[in-house]
Amino acid sequence: MLSGLGSPATASADDEKVTFTVGVTNEVDSFNPFLGIESESYEMWALTYDYMITYSMEDMSPQPGLATDWETSDDGLTWTFNIREGVTWSDGEPLTAADIAYTYNRILDGGPESATWGSYLTSVTSIEAPDDTTVVLTLEKPNAVLPLLPIPIVPEHIWKDISEKDVKSYPAEPTDGQPVVGSGPFRLVEGTAGGSMYRFEKNPDYWQGEPHIDEVVFRVYKSDDPMVQALIKGEIDFADDITPLQVQALQSEDGITAINGSSPGFDEIAFNTGAVDTETGEPLGDGNPALKDPKFRHALGYALDLDQIIEKVYQGAGLPGDTIVPPAYSQWKWTPPEDEAFTFDLDKAGALLDEAGYTEGSDGKRTMPDGSPIGTLRLFARSENKKSVDTMNYFKEWLGELGIDSELTTMESNKLTNVILDGEFDAFQWGWYVEPDPDSMLSYMTCDQRGGWSDSWYCNPEYDALYTQQNGSTDDAARVETVKQMQEMLFNDSPYLVTAYNTLGEAFRSDRFACFQPQPDPGGVLLFQYGAHNYLNARPVAEAGDCDGVTTALGAEGVSQGGGASGADSDEGSNTAVVVVGVIVVAALVIGLGFWAIMRRSSVADRE
Amino acid sequence: MTEFAAAGHSVSEAVAEQEAGSGKRKSYGRYVLGKVLGSLGSLFFVMVVGFFLFRVLPGDPARTLGRGRFKTPEQLEAFRAQYGLDQPLPLQFLTYLKTTFTGDMAESLRYRVPVSDLIIDRLWPTLLLVGISTVLATIIGVYLGVISAWNRGKPVDKITTGSTLTLYSMPEWWLGLLLIAAFAVGAGPLPGIFPTGGLHSVDAVPGTVGYVLDTALHLVLPILTLVLVYLADFSLIMRSSLLDELGEDYLTTARAKGLRDVVVRRRHAVRNAMLPTTTLIALSIGFVVSGAITVETVFSIPGLGLLATEALTIPDYPVLQGTFLITSAAVILANLAANLIYGLLDPRVRT
Repeated sequence: MLSGLGSPATASADDEKVTFTVGVTNEVDSFNPFLGIESESYEMWALTYDYMITYSMEDMSPQPGLATDWETSDDGLTWTFNIREGVTWSDGEPLTAADIAYTYNRILDGGPESATWGSYLTSVTSIEAPDDTTVVLTLEKPNAVLPLLPIPIVPEHIWKDISEKDVKSYPAEPTDGQPVVGSGPFRLVEGTAGGSMYRFEKNPDYWQGEPHIDEVVFRVYKSDDPMVQALIKGEIDFADDITPLQVQALQSEDGITAINGSSPGFDEIAFNTGAVDTETGEPLGDGNPALKDPKFRHALGYALDLDQIIEKVYQGAGLPGDTIVPPAYSQWKWTPPEDEAFTFDLDKAGALLDEAGYTEGSDGKRTMPDGSPIGTLRLFARSENKKSVDTMNYFKEWLGELGIDSELTTMESNKLTNVILDGEFDAFQWGWYVEPDPDSMLSYMTCDQRGGWSDSWYCNPEYDALYTQQNGSTDDAARVETVKQMQEMLFNDSPYLVTAYNTLGEAFRSDRFACFQPQPDPGGVLLFQYGAHNYLNARPVAEAGDCDGVTTALGAEGVSQGGGASGADSDEGSNTAVVVVGVIVVAALVIGLGFWAIMRRSSVADRE
Repeated sequence: MTEFAAAGHSVSEAVAEQEAGSGKRKSYGRYVLGKVLGSLGSLFFVMVVGFFLFRVLPGDPARTLGRGRFKTPEQLEAFRAQYGLDQPLPLQFLTYLKTTFTGDMAESLRYRVPVSDLIIDRLWPTLLLVGISTVLATIIGVYLGVISAWNRGKPVDKITTGSTLTLYSMPEWWLGLLLIAAFAVGAGPLPGIFPTGGLHSVDAVPGTVGYVLDTALHLVLPILTLVLVYLADFSLIMRSSLLDELGEDYLTTARAKGLRDVVVRRRHAVRNAMLPTTTLIALSIGFVVSGAITVETVFSIPGLGLLATEALTIPDYPVLQGTFLITSAAVILANLAANLIYGLLDPRVRT
């Protein structure tokens, strides 16, 4: 009995089930693809369901999923998708264009389904499936985000029984031992939202080919140190979301590969560019007037030593930031020309401030152009995030060197959200994830989003005009130009000073599993990507070969493997004996003191 | 130490004062009735406070859950309407009272499942972990307290008091991580026998003997951590209340009768010194349900404590209200039990 306890998956034996165990630090909040929001939930849906369009590994551009190809009419108002034949649901029913139209129509109808996915169907008026292999989308005006449709497709024959009212609490979890019906490479056999373990078994008939692993198990660790220990010990094969310091420590372990994958998002220092009451248009809160001036904000960009922030705050695991589009999305990214780019140059920052009228007074403090004091800038950081606090501490120091007083307050992000909405701040540190299409990130900086997601209260009608233009564009090249122009505008107006492009630490047992391709390739993350690619790629080391020709995959033949496996095996062999010995040792530790005390007491009592 | 003892006494004194006005001795039945009604009152008070307390928390669930997902203000409004968060507060309170009294708790905003399901799922790991730890800590702690009081000033006393105090002052997460490094991963000659976290192995089949053993193996380190930390609570209060008894005349009398030292201690001294400890034990049992957040975190045990702390970050009102109610109810019940036992042990408190 004991020999089975805690024994990790052995990936070598052919007759044994190959189990790939992933350690994560957060629970799935819902297996229902219309409800969850955590990245863990997205990962589970990617395993369970298919998408009409998926993301490429290289740069996350749209690529065929259930749709083999697509075309759009010249006016951009009709999109026709050709759907793959021969795909079946895990209960044997065929997956047709009707299922896709059904899923999209549920979202289009509004209700809870539209919360997460509705924005992808902006301007869409109808979705039809004229036959089993065709889906037609009709739009009222062009939508540049299409064909990006990362919406999990659910089976109509199951979901038609779930009413609009019931869907908001429909768990989409295994019932009566029956796995969830999906078409993806794996299916959920055990697990519940908020639970601490989720087990998936492979779909042997998957249309992209049978997965190389039989089971994927996710284990939730509530703190990352024990998760790293579990990886070292071999209880899990993959650890997601670990710190740069842990990555560094794991790199020296035998049999483990650890990386900092670039994650598609940015961290920024945001300013109060002028909060207003969105209903009356009256000014709101008490933001410092100096920060309403784009010139003042832009000058501060030269007072940030981003290299030092990356080195000290991000432990080297990150890249200095410039615009709101991370480098992973190279086709969208605008990079400031060298002579304009932010460099750490306090003299230049000072000169720019002087030029704009914010000159130093007799006490060495900078003043407003009319000579009144600027006062103390109120900086805010999120107390639960150390990077946030550290970044703002550096910023405060550099502001001081420029002759600007500031004070730092740290508070929980919940509370900070209220402060931001009340406009009672001058600057704060936060970050965003950016989707493969920058449209929604760009929209957060428009005037309409003030009081919504715009946390800098930025409003520029020129920017808004460009936003509308790119959103309705039918010409991809022209749209890219517009998007770049918008980034340049944000760079010059500086509602945000983008400080860093963050990374996500991941590590896996490279002595057991191989063939993880990063996304974006190169430099990206290995799991928790867009799509379930690596759950199909991953396989036991013995079967690795050349990873089906994916040369960039980690663990392809020729890459040296660690020697941790043999040690782990011998541990397993003596497991039973070790358990017995260990129990005795610990038991002795607990009662030893008391036992010794008893002995002492009786001898003392006897003497008396 | 004496503070603990004083706290223990004050409960019984407060009880005594509260009912001193009536002057004549009540029957046990009336005493019980009074206590039960009082507890029901506290429970209702807790329900009211719990509701309004959590509404004062900063944060808006629609915003926390919708960051990067809801793109328009309309979507935020729709979410609030769906979960009744747009209703005026008094109306929300009425809904809350109604759902609670019908036993049908609201749905969690984050997990979209009924809160009662979540609580039941999370209750038994907590009961197992904190319950066993409390029982073990009580037994070992009381025993160590007796030993050290009886041997006051001797090496036994110094060692037990010193080591329990040292363990008491250690942060739980630190002790937990230390035990993981030593006994789960293995350091030097120590083999890593125990699992690093979780409640059971991936391949364990529920309902088998192997499953029970597997769970037990997973619980060894977290329970050890909690027991080591809790020990001082019980040993120190037992020690001090026993020390109070040591100078009493009845002990001299007992010795004069020629009783052996062990018998004097067990039959006379310890029995009288148990009252404050009873209070402490009853209260600790009440707090079992509220869980042990740090140890649950370090060992990744999905308990009630974790559920509540994580709900705070949203804030997930239904979950917060549900866990607050359950944990408060447990403390109130344990307190009631303590009062009732006191009434039996010491008839003076009934007056």
